[in-house]
Amino acid sequence: MYQSFIGLEIHIHLDAETKAFCGCKAHFGDEENTNVCPVCMGFPGVLPTLNEKAIQMSYTVARALNCKLSPNTKFERKNYFYPDMPKNYQISQFAEPVGRDGYIDIEIGDSIKRVRIHDVHFEEDAGKMIHAGDMSLLDYNRAGYPLLEIVTEPDLVIGEDAEAFLKSFRRLVRYLGVCDGNMEEGSMRCDANVSINLKGAGLGEKVEIKNLNSSRFVRKALNYEIERQSGMMDEGKAVVQETRLWNENRDQSEPMRKKEDANDYRYFPEPDLPPFRPSEEFMQDVENSLCEMPLVRKQRLMNSYGLSSDQAEYIHEEKYMADFFEQAVFSGAEAVQVYSWLSSDVKKLLNRTGLSLEDCPLSAERLAKLISMIGDGQISGKIAKKVLDYIFDEDKDPETICNEKKLVQISDPTAIGKIVEDVLAAHAQVVEDIKAGDARQMGFLVGQVMKASGGNAAPPVVQSVLKEKVLG
Amino acid sequence: MSDFEKKWSEACTQPQTLKAYRKYVEQWEEQIGSFLEFDPLRSLEADIPQGPLTGIPFAVKDNIAVKNYKLTCGSKMLEHLVSPYTATAVKNLQKAGAVMVGKTNLDEFGMGSSTDNSALKQTNNPWDTERVAGGSSGGSAAAVAAGLVPFALGSDTGGSVRQPASFCGVYGLKPTYGVVSRYGLTAYASSLEVIGVVARTTSMCKTVFEAMKGKDPMDHTSMDHTPSGKEVKTVGVLKIEEGALNPEVKASYDSTVERLKKAGYEIIEIELPTLEYVVPAYYTIATAEASANLARYNGIRYGHAPVYAENPTDLMRKSRHEGFGDEVKLRVLLGTYVLRSGFQDQYYVKAQKIRTAIRNDVERWYDKADILMMPVFPTPAFHHGSSDLDTFQQKQADLYTCTANLVGHPALSVPSTMENGLPVGVQFMAPPFEEDRLFQVSSVLEKEFQAPEAPGYHTDWS
Ligand SMILES: [Zn+2]
Repeated sequence: MYQSFIGLEIHIHLDAETKAFCGCKAHFGDEENTNVCPVCMGFPGVLPTLNEKAIQMSYTVARALNCKLSPNTKFERKNYFYPDMPKNYQISQFAEPVGRDGYIDIEIGDSIKRVRIHDVHFEEDAGKMIHAGDMSLLDYNRAGYPLLEIVTEPDLVIGEDAEAFLKSFRRLVRYLGVCDGNMEEGSMRCDANVSINLKGAGLGEKVEIKNLNSSRFVRKALNYEIERQSGMMDEGKAVVQETRLWNENRDQSEPMRKKEDANDYRYFPEPDLPPFRPSEEFMQDVENSLCEMPLVRKQRLMNSYGLSSDQAEYIHEEKYMADFFEQAVFSGAEAVQVYSWLSSDVKKLLNRTGLSLEDCPLSAERLAKLISMIGDGQISGKIAKKVLDYIFDEDKDPETICNEKKLVQISDPTAIGKIVEDVLAAHAQVVEDIKAGDARQMGFLVGQVMKASGGNAAPPVVQSVLKEKVLG
Repeated sequence: MSDFEKKWSEACTQPQTLKAYRKYVEQWEEQIGSFLEFDPLRSLEADIPQGPLTGIPFAVKDNIAVKNYKLTCGSKMLEHLVSPYTATAVKNLQKAGAVMVGKTNLDEFGMGSSTDNSALKQTNNPWDTERVAGGSSGGSAAAVAAGLVPFALGSDTGGSVRQPASFCGVYGLKPTYGVVSRYGLTAYASSLEVIGVVARTTSMCKTVFEAMKGKDPMDHTSMDHTPSGKEVKTVGVLKIEEGALNPEVKASYDSTVERLKKAGYEIIEIELPTLEYVVPAYYTIATAEASANLARYNGIRYGHAPVYAENPTDLMRKSRHEGFGDEVKLRVLLGTYVLRSGFQDQYYVKAQKIRTAIRNDVERWYDKADILMMPVFPTPAFHHGSSDLDTFQQKQADLYTCTANLVGHPALSVPSTMENGLPVGVQFMAPPFEEDRLFQVSSVLEKEFQAPEAPGYHTDWS
């Protein structure tokens, strides 16, 4: 009987090598306070210099989200005191962000939903404060990281929607190559706001929820919050505007601050940075850095290659995988075969070796060749798996491996006949039993022949030769 | 190089002269206290680059960064901070051969008109040690006036170079906003301030300006420019309301007008009705920016920290409570107030609109006059303490100098007369990037009246 409205604020680290306003390396996991300089440490007298690559990535994301792009984007200072923020103000955007009024289509279950984007704005990240006993330690490596904030309209309804949105969005930024979307390492973060109201009564009082460090927590926290607010409405209590913190250990949200305690950020124009006016060339580069959007790609994979929705879902998850898939098909392999290999044996090997498809020795051409060798009857599926292992170990083409390792399928009945004769001689009693009517022992003999052939004998040929020799 | 410049180029580079020069500085310093740090050898390189300023010593206001020198900003907050880098303007001067010898006193973070707001030292006027040297670049002006250096860098946010130059009887240039890189200048009011020059002669002022200007990749608001080369013929002289100036300053002002007429300039009278809004607009914008610029001083990464703090918030609160002086606190509070949500339209936004109106008011005169003339400050150097002018009156008196900062135009304070034993200066203002027009007029006037020598001044150290 209630209607719920969910909006998300997503922050992504832009993969622009250096920080937003200085030349320091923007890299996760380095020793504390090593990627710092007078500028990002907020020393007296320093000035920000704009990282143009990061601003270009910002325009690319805004463009991919179908935003109206600003021809004259402006920077503001957002003032608040926090120990991990060197200047105690954050350079952000307010009046004229990089992009606004966009949308993204996402797949929720079987349907497509359009979520409106309020704005996309560029800003700098803060450092990190770690509490250790009665001390507080600060690491400023992250201070000044280029950050992009994407604010959606409250178009989502339940936690599952938000989870789906985040997955789609993560895929998008990975496709664009602007962020790895790693929520555990904090390169993608999410805050959410929820309000509920009687159907048709519009938005309710907004509650903000912070500390959502995975898409699963986003779902849980939002559904928890909808239930909490519904419960309050049932009891006739008013929901108050506030900020709550998700406690992942207790699976519940806890009050953080009330509306009255909200910061007054005192935004005002950043006097040290003139507005950025993208040139025609800059905008051309933005256009060139766009690619087919994940959802469009998924639909094309289904329509052009006959993949099922689940198969296409798997293949389109990573842009590289989808490219790989199409390249393998282009090289002559059958689409469903390519899918099968990628989703099973290749996936297992990648997990085992810890490599990504991108850096592993398997290329689309090698996989296509491997598949065609099975089709030609040159090797069995079983051998093919071995060959795949060798490709990963030795970084060689499948034909080379087969030649070197003599991994060629034996399908010549005469050659197999010789092996069969040796096996029969060694297992005379079994042959007698079969002749006496114990057909089950036939399988044992097939196994022995395969073993003796080093796995290279073609099983159908083995079976027919055995039948002939044992039963006449 | 002139004889004056040649003499100075030997002050630090000849061992014998250096010794005598040091002694001269020490003697003066007991009287005036212009330096916070004086050490000519620290940045003296064996191979001084050849350039227009080779070997010439200079001092730097202590809110401008020079590597391995302190950067106190006249504040207890930064009393022990040593700068890890050098400002671009200073680097440019060093490339031109100039030798940095020390850091000069100032009002804390540049906030003041007397240098009495320094938390670290008192600076006196070389003409009368009972009086202030002006501010906030009081240390630089006093050092140049006493002959401790032939030029010094200051910063000018609302008159901080021009007013002390006038009080001490030397030249003080505030360049066009953006022409000299601000990288390395501790920010007080970013949209208003520039690094400026205090110098003994017009030509030195010009040489220094030429050497330090130019676009800097570290400052996105900096730019290159080409001056028009226009010859000044007409001077627009601001009409002075009855009683607006102290009688000595008015007399000095009038005699400058006479000299200009005699030198053949056409004089027209100008009026600036927006002048009465200059100070409120200036203090609204300056304090708003200051409230953000000074937020970084929280005792965590550098600077003053309390002996004990309960938690990080307490640490920041105590650092700022103990580290900042009253004037700084006043301006930070004022700036925070004018930026509050719901009040921005009433204060900050309105001040920006007034700023535009003032710019229009000033610029309309450039059709009729090549250069504008106005007073620097309504009084000569005042006494320490608030017996002559209290701190509120000092702020009100900034109206003539703040104008150039609000509109971003270049302005030069030129010594004009001695009145009752104190120097008085006059100010010229030109369209953006037209510093050259200021130097033209200043050179003409310099033939009639040169920077006066304070009792005890000499350059014959040996
Ligand atoms: Zn840095």
